[in-house]
Amino acid sequence: MAGRQAELEVRGLSLAFGGIQAIKDVSLSVHTGELVAVIGPNGAGKTSLLNCITGFYRATSGDITFNGKSIVNMHTHKLTSLGIGRTFQNIELFPGMTVLQNMLLARHTRSKYNFGLACLYAPAVKREEVRHHEILEEIIDFLEMQSIRKELVGSLPYGMRKRVELGRALASEPSLLVLDEPFAGMTLEEKEDMVRFLLELHDGWGQTMILVEHDMSIVMSISERVIVLNFGEKLAEGLPEEIQDHPDVIRAYLGDTMDLGLGASEGA
Amino acid sequence: MARHAPSGRKIPTDHLEKMEGRTLPQILAMQAELFGREHIAIREKAYGIWQAHTWEDYLRYARYTGLGLKALGLTRHDHVAMIVNNHPEWLFTQLGAQAFGAVTLNLFTSAVAPELAGALARIQAGFVIVQDQEQVDKLLEQTANLPHLKAIIYIDPTGMRGYAGNRLLMSFKDLLELGKIHEARHPGLFLDELAKGKADETAHMIMTSGTTGVSKLAMLSHRNYAAMGRKWIASAPVTIGANWLSMTPPAWIVDQMWAFGVSLLGGMTMNFPETPETVTADFRDIGPSLLISSSRFWEDLASRIRVKVDDAGPVHRAAFGLAERIGMACIERAEKRRPVGPGLRGLHWLARLLVFNPLLDRVGCSGFESAYTGGHPISPDVIRFFRACGLNLKQCYGLTETCGIFQVQPDDEVKPETVGTALPDTQVKISSDQEVMVLSASVFTGYYNDYEATEAAFEHGWFLTGDAGYFDDDGHLVIIGRKQDIIRDKEGNAFSPDFIETRLKFSLFIKEAVIFGEGRPFITALINIDMGNTGNWAEDRMIPYTTYTDLSQRPEVEQLILEEVRKVNDQLPQRMKIKRFILLYKLLDADDEELTRTGKVRRRFVYGLYLPMIEAMYQGLDSLPVKGKVRYRDGQVGMIETTANVITVY
Repeated sequence: MAGRQAELEVRGLSLAFGGIQAIKDVSLSVHTGELVAVIGPNGAGKTSLLNCITGFYRATSGDITFNGKSIVNMHTHKLTSLGIGRTFQNIELFPGMTVLQNMLLARHTRSKYNFGLACLYAPAVKREEVRHHEILEEIIDFLEMQSIRKELVGSLPYGMRKRVELGRALASEPSLLVLDEPFAGMTLEEKEDMVRFLLELHDGWGQTMILVEHDMSIVMSISERVIVLNFGEKLAEGLPEEIQDHPDVIRAYLGDTMDLGLGASEGA
Repeated sequence: MARHAPSGRKIPTDHLEKMEGRTLPQILAMQAELFGREHIAIREKAYGIWQAHTWEDYLRYARYTGLGLKALGLTRHDHVAMIVNNHPEWLFTQLGAQAFGAVTLNLFTSAVAPELAGALARIQAGFVIVQDQEQVDKLLEQTANLPHLKAIIYIDPTGMRGYAGNRLLMSFKDLLELGKIHEARHPGLFLDELAKGKADETAHMIMTSGTTGVSKLAMLSHRNYAAMGRKWIASAPVTIGANWLSMTPPAWIVDQMWAFGVSLLGGMTMNFPETPETVTADFRDIGPSLLISSSRFWEDLASRIRVKVDDAGPVHRAAFGLAERIGMACIERAEKRRPVGPGLRGLHWLARLLVFNPLLDRVGCSGFESAYTGGHPISPDVIRFFRACGLNLKQCYGLTETCGIFQVQPDDEVKPETVGTALPDTQVKISSDQEVMVLSASVFTGYYNDYEATEAAFEHGWFLTGDAGYFDDDGHLVIIGRKQDIIRDKEGNAFSPDFIETRLKFSLFIKEAVIFGEGRPFITALINIDMGNTGNWAEDRMIPYTTYTDLSQRPEVEQLILEEVRKVNDQLPQRMKIKRFILLYKLLDADDEELTRTGKVRRRFVYGLYLPMIEAMYQGLDSLPVKGKVRYRDGQVGMIETTANVITVY
């Protein structure tokens, strides 16, 4: 399911909410097989950017193309069929359904049979259902969720729900996986598990991913390319080690050393 | 087409007779010929579905595994180690390697790296089959100490891509492939090697638990396993295609004797759970007809049922309470050999129909014809509880050195304190100093590279179990405890710490207890609270707590455990009552060497470690400051500093 073409191109993207300019003229690209991280201080426009890419927000100006096709005004369900899957910062699962049901739902856009055939449970439908379950079980096995496949999502601990959400996103067989803070609020052990899964997805499955994340140590250790946003503008882009030493980035995160009077304290 | 349903037939006697003097792999070849594709030998849950392998498949995989190892340079009498969970690959490796004359050994997957390296170095293992990346990492860390290692073969390839190029490593899939190629190049090699095997050669070695020091390696021959299988086929409902769920670690004797003794000879199906976490659900899927498990399993199950019942609605609770009273009344009468009246019998039937059967079905225990508990003395209350529920739970007794269980309670003569009578072809007697002795074809051949220990373990051909015991009036064996664990207080009164500990542990709130009192004026205890149950109890009463350490020191919790200890004291004779105890600030753990890998307390080690706390109890102190080390899974050591309170019972 992985390794498929996923060329994302964002050109001159701007987004305004009334007088607030959330994103200003941002351009970026993600190529097939890449793992790209978007970082930036609070309110930098990271989630807004992801929401534009996944069709939750309508950009004010600029263009987004996915595999050469403009997707800037496309509905979210169309985007899923095109191969863009995502997870949310604040888990958006159905708590009253089981893990398997939540994941099956993500197969909706991949199912070809119609309502009538489904009612009759025709052989073709049966074959397809088996195929859906095969794919889901592969994901369950990969994410080590065997013991919870029939548990209600509402009864699971937070870190596990994050994992289920990743599972659901994978169930739609995305060629581009968009992850909004996949590590937020997790314990160290849960983070380690998630890192393991993402690296395996990237190296083993060739999954193309773009993620927003606050945990710098994780971002720097797993991503191939880092894009930094600040106040809606692209501040820098490059390899993790380049970004780490980038003076603008340090200033954006820590503030100007002169402003804080830290520079003066040297003489004291 | 293979049949999934148990046949209800036992293995034909003439076929069983033909197995006499054969090795285990030779027996597998016979079974594959007899059953072919007709019966299921192995079932494994993978990707959410039970995948079945017939006896023909079993032989084929074992053959490829053996040939693969041969291609890598395995020779007769080589040692092959396995660090695996319950998976079919374990069976394939063990029989495949043995077909080529190798001796196998299982190690616990939970063991830390130096422990594994120590064991591997001891047997100079050339080949190690491991479960996953975790075990691979442990071994690679220790390769400097393992110069004899020729190959590490991993079963689960997840996360192994980064290791490409390491010449020691190979996947199990590649090993099978290699075996297939080797067979094409050397047709007939497998059968030639298979025929060379002798039944009296060592097939497998098992590490004894080492409750009292360095563990020994018990050598078991093919004949030992086969003898054990025959005993069970003759005396238990072992039928072709009947289900066994493999859930005790392969490094332990129970699943060993069952997989390669009973199941192999009797044609039973071995079922393997999906992951260690899904055992409960898989258990329910299979509904095994026979189960031998540790007393801890049954104790946990009983306490889980009780907690669930306590959480249930008032109607369910009342129904359970009533049903339990009826069940207990029946059991008590049966124990005292008084007739159970038709009225009570009718009520018990109703209680089973309406309450117990649905309950047992919920926990996957409705398919049992027999269930056994062994490994450690079980609290009589737990046995009574399950028997009251209509579950045929019986006690059994056996050791690694006897190739497993040889004493079982007969169906209608279950007495809480005994371990029943000996299985067929097994003689048991008591020595002059109360030690239990066994004579049987299943008794092991000796300890590996330990002539002295082997000599000490036998007396005129009889195996000395090291357990003290006696026969009661009905000829049932009663085990008092490990001979060396029976201790005497200052006045010279003998008592068994186990006896008191198991009673304490039946409390929902007590996870582990260690009793002291050797040469002392009275008896004291270190107690581990059960974090789950005590935590729930505290939450219900709005008692805030943070960690295990914090919870164990809450005055409310101390009061709770005090009540539990008093209840136990009421059942004990005067000189065996507990006078003082301390709630330990950490759980006893195998990583800290306080427990063996099978979960038994290493009493002397614990005594040495917590001596200041034990002294404080005898000196009558109210509290003392303590500083303790905690070892984490990754080998790091942390410190706990706290105050331990001494609680006086009476």
